[in-house]
Amino acid sequence: MSENTIGKKSIDWVDRRFPIVDLFERHLSKYYSPSNINIWYLFGFLLLIVLVMQILTGLWLMMNYTNTAEGAFSSIEYIMRDVDYGWLIRYMHAGGASAFFALIYLHMFRGMMYGSYQKPRELIWVGGWFVYVLLCAEGFTGYVLPWGQMSFWAAQVIISLVGSIPYFGEDLAIWIRGDYIVSGITLSRLFAFHVVLLPILIIAVVFFHILALHEIGSNNPDGIDVKKHTDQDGVPLDAKPFFPYDITHDFYALGVFLLIFCTVIFFFPEGGGYIIEYVNYEPANPLSTPAHIVPSWYYTPFYAMLRAIDFPLFGLTAKFLGFVVMAAGIAIFAALPWLDRSPVKSIKYKGIYSKFFLTSFVISFFVLAYLGSVPPTETKNLLAKVFTFLYFSYFLLMPIYTRFEKCKPVPERVGETA
Amino acid sequence: MQPKTPPNPGRRKFLTYTTSFLGIIGTFFAAIPFISAFKPSAKAEAAGAPVKVDVSKLLPGEMMTVEWRGRPVFVVNIPEENTSFITNNLDRLADPNMDDPSQPEYAKNEIRSRKKGIAVLTGVCTHLGCAPKYYPEAKPEDFDSNWQGGFFCPCHGSKFDLVGRVYANVPAPTNLVVPPHFFEKDSLLVIGSDGVS
Amino acid sequence: MKIVFYALIIFLPSFLFTAGEYRCGSIECDSFESNVSDKASLQRGLSTYMNYCYGCHSLKYSRYKRVAEDLEIPLELYENNLIYDGSKIGELMEISLTKNDAIEWLGAYPPDLTLEARLRRPDWIYTYLRNYYPDASRPYGVNNRVYQNVNMPHVLEDIQNNLSQVEYDQVIFDLTNFMTYVADPSAEQRKRIGTYVLLFLIIFTAFAYLTYREFKKDLK
Repeated sequence: MSENTIGKKSIDWVDRRFPIVDLFERHLSKYYSPSNINIWYLFGFLLLIVLVMQILTGLWLMMNYTNTAEGAFSSIEYIMRDVDYGWLIRYMHAGGASAFFALIYLHMFRGMMYGSYQKPRELIWVGGWFVYVLLCAEGFTGYVLPWGQMSFWAAQVIISLVGSIPYFGEDLAIWIRGDYIVSGITLSRLFAFHVVLLPILIIAVVFFHILALHEIGSNNPDGIDVKKHTDQDGVPLDAKPFFPYDITHDFYALGVFLLIFCTVIFFFPEGGGYIIEYVNYEPANPLSTPAHIVPSWYYTPFYAMLRAIDFPLFGLTAKFLGFVVMAAGIAIFAALPWLDRSPVKSIKYKGIYSKFFLTSFVISFFVLAYLGSVPPTETKNLLAKVFTFLYFSYFLLMPIYTRFEKCKPVPERVGETA
Repeated sequence: MQPKTPPNPGRRKFLTYTTSFLGIIGTFFAAIPFISAFKPSAKAEAAGAPVKVDVSKLLPGEMMTVEWRGRPVFVVNIPEENTSFITNNLDRLADPNMDDPSQPEYAKNEIRSRKKGIAVLTGVCTHLGCAPKYYPEAKPEDFDSNWQGGFFCPCHGSKFDLVGRVYANVPAPTNLVVPPHFFEKDSLLVIGSDGVS
Repeated sequence: MKIVFYALIIFLPSFLFTAGEYRCGSIECDSFESNVSDKASLQRGLSTYMNYCYGCHSLKYSRYKRVAEDLEIPLELYENNLIYDGSKIGELMEISLTKNDAIEWLGAYPPDLTLEARLRRPDWIYTYLRNYYPDASRPYGVNNRVYQNVNMPHVLEDIQNNLSQVEYDQVIFDLTNFMTYVADPSAEQRKRIGTYVLLFLIIFTAFAYLTYREFKKDLK
């Protein structure tokens, strides 16, 4: 391939004016990743695919959607019935939102397991955390748009939480709503956030997140620094180039993901009520609250925390405290790089306390997710308090247990034992 | 990490090309719903459906305007006595033989219509889209001292005869378009369909 | 990895527990399996709906033409027999009863039913329509085990009195079947396309896997 083909000449022409070859090599063909990365390292690529899919399907939905209180609900049915393949685009977008969250939780969990947030990757982690927060806002604003009963009442509940902030909460809530109750005015502005503001921010932060990653290079399940041992050209010995090894792995993963995703959107598009809640097939009615208001499944752990705090403290209302605890449950992820005092990155080599607390965190997350999705009872309330406590203990006790536990020695090279 | 020489380069090539080919096919099929969704929706089809017009009350010399697909359609009742313009005026017309396809096959006759005496013309000037005005009487007008009756477009001065044929030397290039139409009953005109199921 | 595995198997069963109350009011829902490929059933259901329900309950997100095509009813036949207000076949299935009039004359507003089968699920509708009972204390003399103190009269009472239990159940089955269709008209197309998509994806994933494994050999 050394002849001066027209393809090569075109690439050269561009390359003299824009660093296209360098960019391609540094970020794709010659980007090296550790040779021991496993299935947990596939979710970043899948997240990018889902992001692109959401933008495409969202754009198409926007062409046929009416962002007013009067027209929104009918416009969804218009898309589902009158627009050619509108039903498929709608299901892809709704299913895509759930897929986005499932993948991002798995992606975050990888970081927690292997200590990918540790130095020098703190900014990758914080950037990723910010993408997650933006995604929560994106999911919330998106769900309001069909203007069904759940859309309306979820907006009502969440915005009224803001009203619980002392002194200026109520005024702030009115300012956010643009009205005294959640109305078509609120809908129009949430539409603008969902379609312009949040996607632009998400894309920008994802860009930052990937750049920061490529600057340092990927971590790996053993937490070994593969850049410590390089050959005479500076290429890490325990790593392989993205092309063709990671790209073939990614395409295989894409196939598996699409098999699962397409099974859902073609055969179970409502996800048994977890992707599209049945209550949302009734148009929004400000005068009638549905019997059970449940947030989408991906918010339920935090909703459970919110409801768990049902007692006032220090002159602050239970409502406000619940709001604070819920927000803390999301915000605390960002602190991980500074909470973890372990000399070792990966859970494989950490001590027994880390293993216990990480397990306890996972169990708490699932239990809280369940508790947040069902109506409250006395026992469930108590359980929610217990598991909220366990959830936070993983983070808040981390500076202590990571410092005092006995870790296993980490090998120098991949595939060896220390 | 230096990879060793591939043991079977033929197999690699085959697998890579097949997988890439399948991927491209998949992308193509995945694009179909998006491209298809651009087509007019059922709502557009319903709005663009044929319209039925009762022409029994239309007096000779009268014109009614009907909306079809968002555009005006002129339905004109041309009295028998006035049909002399059909042969008298031919030298002033740009396309008297209706060579360009502004009308369906069944309207390619002297009166440009399926039924004697009723002209069905899309009221959109073929120059830049204004709605021409109806001047049925054959008398001298400001825009033509020898006016034989027809349509005059106020925007840029194009002239058409009573069955929509365009005059020569005016901005409009072609005759007024005759939409698909048929007569369900003698007095029930359907605009927007040829009547063939 | 073990962490996640154990967490899942311990706690997944708890997701299957539902809250104690019945989904069908005071009774369990009867089981109902729709069959939207049975066009004859859908046609009968449509006929029942147009004769008994359409006076009060619109289907305003659905279009006549779509229903005719999906139920394999010739358009002319549909236009002449099933459209009562001179609407064109491409139009939405709306009714002339306004919200205000309905509240004044009937005491409540009969909701649009296009999406009812998605909102309450088909088995709820099937059970509801078969569980009216006499109750002198109510304005129309009837009450419903599934929807306590419902404002709707037992519109199908005549049919129920003149048919056997099995025959009436069939009428309600067809009607519920039709409502299931109208709530999700693209269901059949969706499942058909889905089958082809999954078949293609299985082939693609197989080749992608083989390609991955082939290149991975380099690294061992």
